[in-house]
Amino acid sequence: MSAVTATISEDEMDARTKPALRDEGARLGFRLTLPAQILVLFISAFPLLMQLYISVTDWSPLSGLGWWNAWEMWNSFANYTDLAADARFWSALKRTAIVMVVCVPAEFLLGLALATLFADDFPGKRIFYSILLMPMMVVPAVAGYMFFMLFQSGGPVNDILSTITGTPVTIAWLSDPTLALIAVMIADIWQWTPLMFLILLAGLVGVPEDQIKAATLLGANPWQRFTTIVLPKMKTIIIIALAIRVIENFKIFDTLYIMTGGGPGVATETISVYIYKVTTQDLIWGYVAAIALAILIALSIVAVFAMKRMARARQVPA
Amino acid sequence: MSAIHLKNLVKTFGDFTALKTMDLDIADGEFMALLGPSGCGKSTTMNMIAGMEEPTSGKILFGERDMAGVPMGRRGVGFVFQNYAIFTHMTVRQNLAYGPRMRGAARAEIDRRVGAIAELLQLTPLLDRKADRLSVNILQRVAIGRSAIMEPAIFLLDEPLSNVDAAFRAVMRTELKQLQRQFRQTMVYVTHDQLEAMTMADRIAVMDHGVLQQVGTPLEVYNNPANVFVARFIGAPGMNLIKGRPSESDRGLVVDLGALGVSPPLPDDLASALRGARGDVLYGFRPEQVALAPDGRGLALPVTFVERIGARTIVHLGEGEGAVKAVFDNDVGLAIGQTAIVAPEAASVRLFDASTGRAIRAGG
Repeated sequence: MSAVTATISEDEMDARTKPALRDEGARLGFRLTLPAQILVLFISAFPLLMQLYISVTDWSPLSGLGWWNAWEMWNSFANYTDLAADARFWSALKRTAIVMVVCVPAEFLLGLALATLFADDFPGKRIFYSILLMPMMVVPAVAGYMFFMLFQSGGPVNDILSTITGTPVTIAWLSDPTLALIAVMIADIWQWTPLMFLILLAGLVGVPEDQIKAATLLGANPWQRFTTIVLPKMKTIIIIALAIRVIENFKIFDTLYIMTGGGPGVATETISVYIYKVTTQDLIWGYVAAIALAILIALSIVAVFAMKRMARARQVPA
Repeated sequence: MSAIHLKNLVKTFGDFTALKTMDLDIADGEFMALLGPSGCGKSTTMNMIAGMEEPTSGKILFGERDMAGVPMGRRGVGFVFQNYAIFTHMTVRQNLAYGPRMRGAARAEIDRRVGAIAELLQLTPLLDRKADRLSVNILQRVAIGRSAIMEPAIFLLDEPLSNVDAAFRAVMRTELKQLQRQFRQTMVYVTHDQLEAMTMADRIAVMDHGVLQQVGTPLEVYNNPANVFVARFIGAPGMNLIKGRPSESDRGLVVDLGALGVSPPLPDDLASALRGARGDVLYGFRPEQVALAPDGRGLALPVTFVERIGARTIVHLGEGEGAVKAVFDNDVGLAIGQTAIVAPEAASVRLFDASTGRAIRAGG
């Protein structure tokens, strides 16, 4: 009875004091954070607006105009219509998608398998754990050189294959269009599986142990426990891990560029590599701005979709 | 339904012995409470019955069947966890259906069984609610229902009321006891709360430091504790125990309680049991079985503290080794600093060997 009265009076007090307090607090908070907000707005909004502005012109640093005068080279959305017809852009986009469709699920499955393994104790766990996390610490450029050397025709990968098969193997990995793409994907999987593993392990150890025990006592076999308890409990963290890797993988550049430079030909040219080439070699910055903006919009849609899914997963019907 | 027999059960974790040779027979359909302070081995015992842990040595039998090597999913044991371990990402219905579904029961069969169990536990209106926003008593029912749907021979409950606030505990105790009557399963209930054990159990197994101290009905362990540990652990407050030395007086055998004076003469049966014994004894009596006495007929003790809790008054008397508590049904006119003359009821006096702690039983 006393608890009930206490709640009511607390509510009443809230009703009387809250609106005024809230308004005042909000006003003060707004004023205090205003400088920071302006800075953040400038940092994020200014480049975006500049990009938008340049993307509707033919401006290039070689044009002799300051970027703010780019309106003189206004080309009425020609960059966007060109983009729609740019076969090299679309093939780069397709290649990026292929890399993503192969790498992210491979990293996810490997990471999940390793996380499952590491959720239990086994001898030497700590050492293996450190070794496993090492690829993530390697600077991507260094990883690129490493794999560049590994995949040379006289390199260690071929040496190992020679030993296994017993015949000399001299595959020119990075000169073959298909094999080069495979080599690049292997490097990406090597480098980023540890991140997936780390995130998923955090999710896995967060699954309440007694719920797993309860499922066992109710007769669930290990696979059933995994699919009915562990995976649903990890849903949010899985979505986060996948979202991180999808977005990151879409931007795949450094390792790949050092290994193949996008070649042979354009066989490993992803969106980032394409943008880089157009920026530094062709120097048509108006066009680059249009590509970058189109991709930003596409990625934002993916991110918003993922976040909506996540919010729905966490929502509970009342 | 099934009886449980524990034979010479031992469990060690490295150097630590969690359970030392436990022998216990739990009858078919019995509600047995494993009672003891934390670390006494009660949960270890329960986990071994459930199959979550393998005994170091000894046997567990369900009826005639040896459970060695039988995995926990196949023991036919229902387990209610301390925090209920409800699958929070599922609905109540999915929780209840979990066991049959995992064992591949047909859909119609699952629906029928879930319907029946939900009806029994009054969960029908809540079946499609998500399980993560339910109150504790509903959670308890879901946890029991989820196990009961498998029709286990044995129900194990691991301190299910320890997360519940005190006011609600009484409700949950009643509900749990009623459920046990409905299911008529063998139930093993682990708790450190002697009140829970006393109110619900058919028999109580009191444990301490991995050793089974006493098994008996609630009144047996209350009235005739086998040793000092049980005497102190059962009852709130526990039994008063004062160190003393038996001595002959003209009124018969008494216990010389040192500074507190001399006890009233012991009843004949206790006196004869004690005559053979040598050495110090612990003179014990329940705080509830104390009366105020005229001068010279009881123990004179200073009042150190008075707790008035409405229906009862707990009076703390004396200090240190000779501290005694007395519980009176009504308020008594005692104040701190006064001296009270208290006399334990003759029939309620219990004696324990001061060196072994074991009870000295009348006629034994």
